[in-house]
Amino acid sequence: MFAGFDWDVIWRSLPYLFREGMTFTLTLTALAMTLGVVFGTALAMMRLSAFKVLAAVAGAYVNLMRSVPLVLVIFWFYFLVPWIGGWLIGARQPIQVGAFMSSVVTFTLFEAAYYCEIMRAGIQSIPRGQVWAGYALGLNYRQTMAAIVLPQAFRNMLPVLLTQTIILFQDTSLVYVLSITDFLGAASKVAQRDGRLVEMYLFVAVVYFIISYLLSHQVRRLQTRLAVPGPA
Amino acid sequence: MAMIEMNQVSKWYGAFQVLKDCTTGVDKGEVVVVCGPSGSGKSTLIKCVNALEPFQQGSITVDGVSVGDPRTDLPRLRARVGMVFQHFELFPHMSVVDNLTLAQVKVLDRSREEAVQRALRYLERVGLKEHAPRYPGQLSGGQQQRVAIARALAMDPIAMLFDEPTSALDPEMINEVLDVMVELATEGMTMMVVTHEMGFAREVANRVIFMDRGEIVEDAPKDDFFGKPRSERAAQFLSKILRH
Repeated sequence: MFAGFDWDVIWRSLPYLFREGMTFTLTLTALAMTLGVVFGTALAMMRLSAFKVLAAVAGAYVNLMRSVPLVLVIFWFYFLVPWIGGWLIGARQPIQVGAFMSSVVTFTLFEAAYYCEIMRAGIQSIPRGQVWAGYALGLNYRQTMAAIVLPQAFRNMLPVLLTQTIILFQDTSLVYVLSITDFLGAASKVAQRDGRLVEMYLFVAVVYFIISYLLSHQVRRLQTRLAVPGPA
Repeated sequence: MAMIEMNQVSKWYGAFQVLKDCTTGVDKGEVVVVCGPSGSGKSTLIKCVNALEPFQQGSITVDGVSVGDPRTDLPRLRARVGMVFQHFELFPHMSVVDNLTLAQVKVLDRSREEAVQRALRYLERVGLKEHAPRYPGQLSGGQQQRVAIARALAMDPIAMLFDEPTSALDPEMINEVLDVMVELATEGMTMMVVTHEMGFAREVANRVIFMDRGEIVEDAPKDDFFGKPRSERAAQFLSKILRH
């Protein structure tokens, strides 16, 4: 049945696929995750803030991001970031933003909305008494969050955070619409050049599956390792 | 000299009044026990003392510092008042010794070495020195509460607040916690204790406050309180909890 296929095309393009494509995909995933978690945590703290305005702004942002398809956000940011960047530094012309920078900004801002909701649930899962105990010892809000609430929230939320990151890893393939050479982009260039669409797209799917599957397996192991020590 | 002074303190949750004109005080070195049926506002009252709960009317001063004044540096005030909670509230992600050193280092700017030294000294005092490297989840309830007391003491507090420190404990663990509290009381620590442990009150309290429906119904020296409670509600309450 597979007689008409040329599987060698995969072997031939392997260095290009991984050295160019997968490197980009993994770098984008790592950067967007790190920045997204930081920004998302800030958003979560805003949403839980006693200042109604802060909470409303963060809430509106999160709802907006979660209501728009990711592909649209990628498009919009690709066209908008140069203009906003130019406006921010007071330049008359839109600044030059590479496709890479643009996608990092996009995914950070987009994923932050999801990380925010995960962190918010994590922060709310910490009993009020823990905050009281921190305050009663003389810690201020910042210290209480940093030393007591967030470390526990992160632990509780780590499985969900990492699962979201695995989704992010898959979603980065959407930068394909900006003709960026991520893993899928690289594969699709080879596929079209050599007319080997089925082979390449099958291979891409298998690679995404293996990596995602292995990662979610690791998440489960990490979960048991990071558990807070309880009764023996 | 009054260490804690409350004057006409009132507090509302929305339209519901939880505290009504509460006026009382705790002198330096005095032990005051607050009791009353559940929902009477006693826990809320004690949480007002270090501003964990805000109040809308009246005033509270601790060592002359006004708690309700927005200009008051609350973290600084709280660092000087120890508090022990019903559910211990140890930090489960930190070892016992780290629970004791955290605020010493972050709030009092003590060096890590000094903080650890003090932590171990107070852990020894509550009989748990060898548990220093363990985690709260690995300790029994009674042990956790003793660690919580040691954590508060490590800050060199000028007064200690206890919010039902034994009511979440299994009966066989209550005494190990009360023993530590009795020892503190006899050493002259200023203490405000919300509890139903009338044995503890009889042994070390100077005064007993009885609260009901947000009001201080009775505020009397221990012997008067146990001898002849003046209000019917206090008499009723005592007859219920002292029956067995």
